[in-house]
Amino acid sequence: MSSDPAVGLVVTGIGTVGADGFDFRTALGRHGYKYLPAASQYFLAAAKRALAQAGPDALEAVGPEQRGAAVGTNSAAVALHHAMDRTVTATGAADLSPVTAPYFSINLFGSRLATEHDLKGFNLTFTSPRVAGLEALQNGQRALATGRARRLLAGATEEALPEGEPGAGTSEAGAVALVLEPEPAARSRGVAALGRVGVRSFFLPPKAAASAEGAERAAALLRDALDALGHRPDRPLAVTAVLDGSPVGEAMAAALDEKALGGRALAGEPERVPAGAGALEPVARVAAALGAPAGHAHAVVTAAAEGNAAVCLVTPGGADAVPGGPEAASSEPAGTKRAPESAGSEQPMSGRRRASDR
Amino acid sequence: MDDVLVTGLGALSPLGAGTDAFWRGMHKADTGPTRVPDPLAHMDRPLMYLVPEADVPDGPEEQDGLPLGRGSRFALAAAREAVADAGLAPSAGPGERPEAGPYATGGGLDPRRVAVALSTGMGDTDLHEGWWTGRAPASGRWAPAFPLASVVGGWFGAQGVNTCVSNACAASGYALSVGADLIRSGEADVVIAGGAEAYSRVALACFNRLGAIDPERCRPFAVERQGTVFGEGAAVLVLESASHARARGARTVYGRLAGAGWSCDAYHATAPEPSGEQIERAMREALREAGAEAGSGTGSESGSGSGSESGSGTEAGSGAGSGSGGLGFVIPHGTGTELNDVVESRLLDALTPRTPLYSVKALIGHTGGAAGAFAALAACLVLHHKTLPPNVPVGEQDPECAVPLPSGSAPMTGAYGLVNAYAFGGNNISLVFGEAAA
Repeated sequence: MSSDPAVGLVVTGIGTVGADGFDFRTALGRHGYKYLPAASQYFLAAAKRALAQAGPDALEAVGPEQRGAAVGTNSAAVALHHAMDRTVTATGAADLSPVTAPYFSINLFGSRLATEHDLKGFNLTFTSPRVAGLEALQNGQRALATGRARRLLAGATEEALPEGEPGAGTSEAGAVALVLEPEPAARSRGVAALGRVGVRSFFLPPKAAASAEGAERAAALLRDALDALGHRPDRPLAVTAVLDGSPVGEAMAAALDEKALGGRALAGEPERVPAGAGALEPVARVAAALGAPAGHAHAVVTAAAEGNAAVCLVTPGGADAVPGGPEAASSEPAGTKRAPESAGSEQPMSGRRRASDR
Repeated sequence: MDDVLVTGLGALSPLGAGTDAFWRGMHKADTGPTRVPDPLAHMDRPLMYLVPEADVPDGPEEQDGLPLGRGSRFALAAAREAVADAGLAPSAGPGERPEAGPYATGGGLDPRRVAVALSTGMGDTDLHEGWWTGRAPASGRWAPAFPLASVVGGWFGAQGVNTCVSNACAASGYALSVGADLIRSGEADVVIAGGAEAYSRVALACFNRLGAIDPERCRPFAVERQGTVFGEGAAVLVLESASHARARGARTVYGRLAGAGWSCDAYHATAPEPSGEQIERAMREALREAGAEAGSGTGSESGSGSGSESGSGTEAGSGAGSGSGGLGFVIPHGTGTELNDVVESRLLDALTPRTPLYSVKALIGHTGGAAGAFAALAACLVLHHKTLPPNVPVGEQDPECAVPLPSGSAPMTGAYGLVNAYAFGGNNISLVFGEAAA
């Protein structure tokens, strides 16, 4: 563990990949990827794009033991498990592919990333309903704050649910990856900080959400989270809410107004986005919010019917764009490199494939 | 920095329901796998250490409209026990009367400061396997495969962080470490942490396909080992900040989570990196953080040693962990797979020489995403009772696995226990638990 924990993390690379039209040969290369399950390919491709934007020395500036990764997923393995189970029950385990057999384990979908990029600090997988991708950002950043690494690759990946599976109609498929590093490190490399992302997750018990006080309880938890993230109530806050129609989702939606949030100034009506059967869309919305003008605070809020909830406070731009942020750079350094727009495009996951379309 | 104490324990395992049954089973040291009762388990070695049928919770079938699989029900059962053992009680829901419990009824437990960090490798996949083979889902509602922490959080009414960690067989070690970090960072006072794993046809079939199932039993470090054998169950620990535990007068403190070390091999999807460089780094980091220096303070002569018969190993009273204040025992990852056991043995021999090992997997099999939590539970029981139970006999020990595996129980005077958990993808974690008083 480093004695000098990484603090003041900024995003320096964003990669998004949608399933529509995805071809691993063009995204990753012709050799070595053919037999990887789709969600693993998506995440590798998203990470490749994010690293391309962050620059070739984004990871290499530190040793392998100072690099960590965290991925969130809910449904990456379901279709594969379904196909495997059909094989086992029809003809037996001997007919399973030995190449894909290890992927019964959900963490394998993110593990190739560690091998490819020599990430020896940690490689975490989170699977909490809908918030797993934001949790990857949250837990990954906490791990850096405690000195377990100094660079972070984090994001989410999903694959469409098999036809007939409950929730298949709102399947997600694709991946988003972000590169995070300490702001001074980005500055010294001459790379622009795309922004900061701070996540707080919490839990709204479904019973509480369904009660008459549901919205009130949701608002209290949201206020706590925004306070913990350092959001000043007088700073106008744009809100994107990735929610379903469950009692938890409705309670959270009802909590998203200025009065319920204790007088916080909202920048317009919160945008409500239908949640899919996975953890991808909230992270895609975070990636999109990083493209807003510098300093425009944006909250991406999400929740699952099971009670898991999270808010990500996105502040685009460098340290100078963060009121109350580190004194850091007062302007974009000379020689700042910007990757082509195509390196981190396509967000949010508007082109996601739905299982019913397959 | 505030200590992270263990103030409650809960277990549902192949040894039965409850922590007492687990501790008794550790001393009885007489278990074995059985054939899974699944007519569709078309595989050569459909073996597992199963939770006894009489102890399998008969519900709930659903919670707040979410259908529950075996994994969620296991997690709930262990969490209920751990929470009660800690003297806590679930928060009252809207319009509900608080359950009997001195703390809930007396107030003071802020549900926003209670977090849940549970792990699983397969979650409620058994539920989905049922749907894929003819059983119809009760509704069209999306049923995420990994809702275990959510289900426990919903039952308890916990409003803090609620996370499911799925780092395969190291997952529950990470869940416990993440839980400790939540306390140390000030995000939670109490964390319901651990892991649960239940029979999944897909998982067992894939391990069969990989040729990694032993035909007889789980035999870590044995010369005739041929792979591992899965087990199922749930182990849950209540982690609590020392200041919070003191303030409420926690009645029992089983130990403290004193150190953690994380690493990743970044080497291969399924095989450990042969030099063990990264698992050594995780062990060293955990021991350093705990202040339990590797190789110090044990002085035990308890090793059965290379090539010895497990049945003729160290007998009771040989002084496991006799060096008070040092590392008293190790609960290894030791799965019974060929390379893992050799690499881990070599490093333990170098890093913690002569420190006795206790193999939980030889007792209940490899519980996957719950394995680290079961090892942590066992470590806390050993520290609490100051006794290292006998290892389950696994036959002749592999000369390449020259680690002490005492066959008799022994007094445990060391102040610390080391827990290792490793996983597919090269995920490694080591935890150090230390003695602590209420």
